[in-house]
Amino acid sequence: MQAPVSYKLRDQQLWLSADRCIYWEDEQVLIVSDLHFGKTGHFRKHGIAVPQTVYKKDLQRLFHQVQFYRPRKLIVVGDLFHSHENKELELFLKWRNDFPHLEIDLVRGNHDILHQDWYRQANINVVDEELQISQFRFRHDKEECSHDKANALKTGMPYLFSGHIHPGVLLSGMGKQSLRLPCFYFARDFCVLPAFSAFTGTWLMDPDESENIFAIVENKIVQLQ
Amino acid sequence: MVLHNTPGYKIVNDWLASKGLHPFLFQEQAWQHIINGKSGVVNAPTGCGKTFSVFLGTLIDFINKNSGNYKTKSKNGLQLLWITPLRALAKDIGRAMEEVIAELGMQWKVGIRNGDTDVAERQRQKRQMPEALIITPESLHLLLAQKGYPELFRSLQVIAVDEWHELIGSKRGVQVELAISRLCHLPNERKPQVWGISATIGNLEQAREVLLSPLKTMGELVKAEVRKEIVLESILPDEIEKFPWSGHLGLKLAHKVVPIINNSRTALIFINTRGMSETWYQTLLNIAPDLAGAIALHHGSIEQELRIWVEEALHAEKLKAVVCTASLDLGVDFRPVDTVIQVGSPKGVARFLQRAGRSGHSPDAISKIYFLPTHSLELVEAAALKNAIEENFIESREPMTLCFDVLIQYLGTLAISEGFRPDELYHEIITTYCYRDLSEAEWSTILQFITEGGTALQQYDEYKKIEVIDGVYRLTSRRLAMRHRMHIGTIVSESMMKVKFMSGGFIGVIEEWFITRLNPGDVFTLAGRNLELVGIKEMTALVRPSKSKKSIVPSWDGGRMPLSANLGKKLREKFNEAFEVKRATKNSNSGKRDIELEVLKPLFQLQAQLSHVPRADELLIEHIETKDGYHLFVYPFEGRLVHEAMAAILAYRISRITPITFSFAMNDYGFELLSDQPIPVDDTNVMDLFTADDLLTDIQRSANATEMARRKFRDNAVIGGLIFQGYPGEQKKARHLQSSASLLFNVFSEYEPNNLLLRQAYQEVFDQQMEEVRLRNMLERIQHSKIVITFPQQLTPFCFPIKVDSMRENLTSEKLEDRVKRMQAQLER
Repeated sequence: MQAPVSYKLRDQQLWLSADRCIYWEDEQVLIVSDLHFGKTGHFRKHGIAVPQTVYKKDLQRLFHQVQFYRPRKLIVVGDLFHSHENKELELFLKWRNDFPHLEIDLVRGNHDILHQDWYRQANINVVDEELQISQFRFRHDKEECSHDKANALKTGMPYLFSGHIHPGVLLSGMGKQSLRLPCFYFARDFCVLPAFSAFTGTWLMDPDESENIFAIVENKIVQLQ
Repeated sequence: MVLHNTPGYKIVNDWLASKGLHPFLFQEQAWQHIINGKSGVVNAPTGCGKTFSVFLGTLIDFINKNSGNYKTKSKNGLQLLWITPLRALAKDIGRAMEEVIAELGMQWKVGIRNGDTDVAERQRQKRQMPEALIITPESLHLLLAQKGYPELFRSLQVIAVDEWHELIGSKRGVQVELAISRLCHLPNERKPQVWGISATIGNLEQAREVLLSPLKTMGELVKAEVRKEIVLESILPDEIEKFPWSGHLGLKLAHKVVPIINNSRTALIFINTRGMSETWYQTLLNIAPDLAGAIALHHGSIEQELRIWVEEALHAEKLKAVVCTASLDLGVDFRPVDTVIQVGSPKGVARFLQRAGRSGHSPDAISKIYFLPTHSLELVEAAALKNAIEENFIESREPMTLCFDVLIQYLGTLAISEGFRPDELYHEIITTYCYRDLSEAEWSTILQFITEGGTALQQYDEYKKIEVIDGVYRLTSRRLAMRHRMHIGTIVSESMMKVKFMSGGFIGVIEEWFITRLNPGDVFTLAGRNLELVGIKEMTALVRPSKSKKSIVPSWDGGRMPLSANLGKKLREKFNEAFEVKRATKNSNSGKRDIELEVLKPLFQLQAQLSHVPRADELLIEHIETKDGYHLFVYPFEGRLVHEAMAAILAYRISRITPITFSFAMNDYGFELLSDQPIPVDDTNVMDLFTADDLLTDIQRSANATEMARRKFRDNAVIGGLIFQGYPGEQKKARHLQSSASLLFNVFSEYEPNNLLLRQAYQEVFDQQMEEVRLRNMLERIQHSKIVITFPQQLTPFCFPIKVDSMRENLTSEKLEDRVKRMQAQLER
């Protein structure tokens, strides 16, 4: 695994990891999005035999990141869980109990539909729309800003971290070959995190030249622009 | 029992005689076998009484067995199950059967069961099965998904499989095999007889073996010795282009089609792709405006009602001509059709014959078919076709084997109705041809997959599908059962979008990927109209009519069949004669020569002068250097798929000699490797480069098998029940259960690489996409051939069409046309 890639943003030190997360050093915060935990279980419960190993590996990956950075807080920019409760979440809870001191802030995404008691028991703080910590804001879907806020976006509001769309880029190679890769997408006033879960597709971005794109190529981060 | 002495025969024969008809010999042969309790295959072309061969045989047998009261005996239960691949044919067959039954004064009922059958009719059938039931393979599997299905088939006497040649090479054929294996193993007093009805294919014996495999009998093969005369006439260009390129000549010859249309009652004009059929329709209207109203367009993307209207107008002789695609290859005969025009290569002998057979229906009528080349070299194909038809050299349809996806679906089907015991079912399934090599290990993997869902995390798993209850495998969840029933079938279509006018009214359907590439305001052509895209709303593209002259014609890839092995072989042989023609002119050696080869003489002469015209036992390789780089052209004449795989393998093998990168291009005749450095292929290494040794490993290392398998996997995943397409009318609600085939492919490749469906996707790539067997045969042929390597100073007539095709991708058609003209001018100087 390649070492994380340094990225300075508004004087803050970020580390981008090929494991699809960002470590914010100044605040000791690990930022992830779209983990969709329980998705394989949800499919399997409905008779669609997706291998559960995907979920196990996803959990292990998150677990390793937490051990590696030892963050004070984990911010999930939405879609921590895929759907209703199922047995796979028990495995998450087991893991959660091993890190009782880690704060988890979940900015609610469209998939986060569990009962509030469940989050309370799991020791997860749920934030309904937007979370702000010093000069950064966190919101699941950047498109869902109300109008005045969207305008404010242009006028030097805190930088916005978002998820939801599972950003990807298309790399064209020789002949007719092309590769679709998940990516980090940094625009002037906001960024979009790649979906953490390996059981997610990607939405192709059409980046502007001024924006920064980091593609995740197997276990490396490659800055494209 | 001698047929002629039976009461049934007398009754049926008298009835035929009363209509002035006599049974054909092959019909009587089939009847004799049927009353003897035998099974078999009837080989007969369409339109000469093949339906009657099996249907009347079943009636005769019934009359014989009930000679006292055959007229009054009713509610006999299902006697004859008639499986047909074509929903559209069911009504006509049913009507014909009912007519016979009524005229014989019998009480049989005829039922139809397919996707169009309404609920009330299904209920009626469940209460009292009709004596004859016409059904599609999918609907038959739906019957097997009903509780108590064995009761429906208790009195079944004969299973007829119509158009078996259409089914055998497909997964629908596998469905038929499985259904037959089930019906033959029901605990009935008598096993049903099985009769296939097939047009001529290269492997007729094998077709019989596949169909009858569950019966463990050889069965009979009844051949109708009705030979239809087919006359092929090529539409010759006034001047032969010495540098041909595809897709261009065709439309230039359109004016020659108009008089043919005018001199016919009704003409069918077959075009290979939907996109080109749109263009042809427009072109014909432009050059012959008086045809407006008398000509129509028919292809798979056109709205069904409109297609039905066209078909009915064809029957009623209201149309002079219909521009169509493979959409009119099959189905009921259109009596008024007396002329068929094939535009471009038909790619195979069987397909050409089938199309020719769409004209001239009475058994003694001559079928006339015109061949219109889309580039001049295609004229050789016309000559090759004539020869192939003369020798009845028709392609085989290879049966599919070990289709895990269809089997997984079938197990689900049985699990929701009566359940199954794995040991019993295993022995039943391996009686089919498709699964005869299914190992016990594979079987237990499949059982594990459907009950436990592959790799799982034990106590954290809630996989639910098939459960084992007292040793019986059952699917008890009503929701899952309902979903399964909706997904029964093996035809996986592209994601389609309806096209509708703003003001209402459907025009047809079009591939989603095509529409999503367009922006509102763009104009495209569908069903012969120019349409402006207004917007997309809920899986419907809203359009308005456009007067714009420019429009985008969708290019559908679906119709791009490769040249068949049979036609390729005949084509290579024809080049022998092209050589002869040249010499013949010198020696004035008379004899029957094809006009097509005659007119192509200048082209062959130029080819011989610049390079070489390969004979059947030669492989031609051309090294050409142009400002684009170093080209290597190879001409195996094996169809584009084989060429695609071969190009990749050759590139890989050359790159082992020296580091070098290539780009590829190919058509049905040959392929091109292009590089910026000289390509090291010469007499010393050429045999090694074309060896069949290590073929499989080299394929895996060279061709992009992963990408190909990814595309194939979608079908496997849908059939195998991994992709949830949503309940009708509530697509949105099911979003949380949807995932793309491509994503599943990634997940399985990484986390469950041994998954059976994944393995099957790769196997299908080797078998169908790369046609591994054919590739191997080609290499073995080349090993026994003489390889001729030439170094022409410029592009040759043979390589020109490949070169143009490789430029096509990056250029719009007008720019391409200009550029090709310039190239031609330069070369002919």
